[in-house]
Amino acid sequence: MAVDLGKMSDLLIAGKVEDVSNMVQEAIDDGMDSSEILQGGLIAGMDVVGQRFKACEMYIPEVLRSAKAMSAGMIKLRPLLIESGAKTAGTFVIGTVKGDLHDIGKNLVAMMFEGAGFNVVNLGIDLDTQVFVDAVKEHKPELLGMSALLTTTMPRMGEVINALKEAGIRDQVKIMVGGAPVTDEYAKEIGADIYGANAASSVDKGREALGD
Amino acid sequence: MKSVMPDMQPMNQTVQETPQFRVLTEDQIEQIYFAALDVLERIGSRVHHDEALKLFRSSGDAVVSEDKRVRVPASLVERALKSYPRKITLKGRNGKRSVALQKDHVYFGTGSDLPFTYDRKTGERRRTTYKDVVDAGRIVDYLDQYDFFMSHGIVGDAPNPQTYDRHQFMAMLEGCTKPMVVTSVDGEGLEDLWKMACVLQGGEEEFRLNPMFVAYIEPISPLTNDVTAVEKLLFAAEKGIPAMYTPCPSSGATAPATIAGMLVQSLAETLLAIVLCHLKKPGMPLIMGGVTTVMDMRTTTYSYGAPELSLASAANTDISKWLKLIMFSTGGCSDSKCLDEQAAIESTISNLTAFLSGANLVHDVGYIDSGVNASLESLVMNNEIIGMVRQVGKGVKTDEEHLALKVIDEVGPGGEFVTHDHTYEHWREWFLPKLMDRSDWETWNNEGAKSMSERIDEETQRILDTHEPLPIDDAAKKELKAIIDAAEKRHS
Ligand code: B1M
Repeated sequence: MAVDLGKMSDLLIAGKVEDVSNMVQEAIDDGMDSSEILQGGLIAGMDVVGQRFKACEMYIPEVLRSAKAMSAGMIKLRPLLIESGAKTAGTFVIGTVKGDLHDIGKNLVAMMFEGAGFNVVNLGIDLDTQVFVDAVKEHKPELLGMSALLTTTMPRMGEVINALKEAGIRDQVKIMVGGAPVTDEYAKEIGADIYGANAASSVDKGREALGD
Repeated sequence: MKSVMPDMQPMNQTVQETPQFRVLTEDQIEQIYFAALDVLERIGSRVHHDEALKLFRSSGDAVVSEDKRVRVPASLVERALKSYPRKITLKGRNGKRSVALQKDHVYFGTGSDLPFTYDRKTGERRRTTYKDVVDAGRIVDYLDQYDFFMSHGIVGDAPNPQTYDRHQFMAMLEGCTKPMVVTSVDGEGLEDLWKMACVLQGGEEEFRLNPMFVAYIEPISPLTNDVTAVEKLLFAAEKGIPAMYTPCPSSGATAPATIAGMLVQSLAETLLAIVLCHLKKPGMPLIMGGVTTVMDMRTTTYSYGAPELSLASAANTDISKWLKLIMFSTGGCSDSKCLDEQAAIESTISNLTAFLSGANLVHDVGYIDSGVNASLESLVMNNEIIGMVRQVGKGVKTDEEHLALKVIDEVGPGGEFVTHDHTYEHWREWFLPKLMDRSDWETWNNEGAKSMSERIDEETQRILDTHEPLPIDDAAKKELKAIIDAAEKRHS
């Protein structure tokens, strides 16, 4: 009997991490097409989660549980998707800039991107400019994210962008910035592509910018 | 005066001088305390500072692991706890020893470092500047319900992020003569602020007896101590500068989702500093703190308006009193983006709860937008709120004079009290509103039908137009400037 993708979506919405992971494996073993599993099972489920979040029917802890289920499924699916040349959400590298120790907001953004199927590389906090540059070279992400919670550290984001330009790799990535003192205007000023006000809207904006 | 009451010396009476409010019983406090001790013995707290690690290692009691986790046995914590002062008196540059931090004495003040200022006239926000900090200082200097000043805003136009704290302190001093709580960039920054304060207090020794400020220092929840925070703490210990180590956990994000769990964790974070400062220099004036709130699960906002903030903070104050530590707490703040009904409601609840709990320094009064926006008008509004709150705190006196049996007798059925001496003597004990309107419809209309909001705006403007704080004399100003210039030079 073919694996029931509707049930997979339901399990994902309910945040059943292990069940989703097992079911993805079953579907793969069954020979189901990886894109079909992704679209019909995982993404269909996350779409509902997104709608319910906006309607105040689901809250952050529930959304993150579903995101975890999504990412557990993606661990199994990603190699197959890449192999088949199917379009995946892409890689998102994120970190907090030098001198800044605020951690939790950036982590929430990272988790939400995982929930959207991205391969997320979370570099940590208090990062030198060079760490961002090296990470872009190494991971070749579609999207680079920088977080700054202090007026005193936010100029570092501009420094990273300049360093990427100098390294000749600025145009390889879209750049998103966010954090309490950052504004849309400031993002434009320093040459970032996207301003993220909060975790949920950042994912929407990120996907949009990547033409999803 | 002959007593008219039949029995004015009853036995076995319990009377209250003030209302009584507590959240935790002693047994609950002990449960939390023992759990926190367990956290320090089993889990430990990470310390990113070499001298501190050395101090822990050479204590002979604490255990430091490879990953910089410090675990501390209960016996050392309990020894350390005994060494802290139960009283610290702050003296402003106005020469008044006006803030006597001791059990159940409550003082209100602002918060610090708000990156934006909300402009009520345009409805827009802009980056906060030096002048905004001076203006906030002038408002706090003028208004009677404020006892201490934190910068409210951040001096966003300072030349260098590495030295902004010196400029910020200068702006604070220009605007306000009351005692302060100061934030600093690092140990070196704190040293400069302390030197500046010593200029005004008459030297290092006088500062020790009459400190002008408390240094604001925070760990990173959960259970992490970064290098700059520890640097500040050790410097404060060395010089005897009052300091607080105030965790800012958000329940459900950087701390457990239960209030008790958050209190356990933040107490463990505090106790680590208690031990560290004790090892550095026993008896330094360390203050307990905590902005203990929830992360809103819809918006991810670190909430300054949640009722849980008030509840957890009051519980934390109960713990501080049991530990015989001075408490730095939170009130008068809001998640609202502007100064509106939400801001008023949230500010009121947290001010009232903090006051009733007996916290010593209640800060963040006037914060809007969850600690991101500054608002001078919010400071003015909160002054009125705190006045009302303090009135509630006065409690009900029930001695003969206040039971007023004699007066009731004299006036008798059908009489009036307005012209009675007793009224003349006592009515001034009431709260006198300055901004609350209690007029009739006709009068209110004739006077322009102004809402609270408009009255707040006018009062804010009036203070800004008229209040000039006591100036800093030129010689002192020169010395302060020299300290700032030297810092600029070092960091250029
Ligand atoms: C890549 O794309 C993106 C997209 C979206 C992005 C993004 C990146 N990054 C963030 N987002 C967005 O999405 C996230 C999820 O929805 C959101 O992330 P947030 O991080 O905003 O949201 C979190 C989930 C909840 N929010 C938070 O956790 C931050 C709350 C506030 C109160 C705050 C906290 C808790 C802390 N702090 Co700090 N802190 C404040 C904050 C005030 C505020 N309301 O922002 C702020 C930012 N802090 C400030 C200050 C002054 C400081 N803090 C400091 C320290 C800390 C703590 C360590 C105690 C703690 C952080 C603990 C931790 N584990 O992260 C110090 C600096 C330490 C350092 N070097 O970094 C210190 C300097 C205090 C001192 N003098 O010691 C102020 C900023 C002043 C300025 N210069 O601009 C401040 C506005 C509060 C205030 N008014 O004082 C969005 O911003």
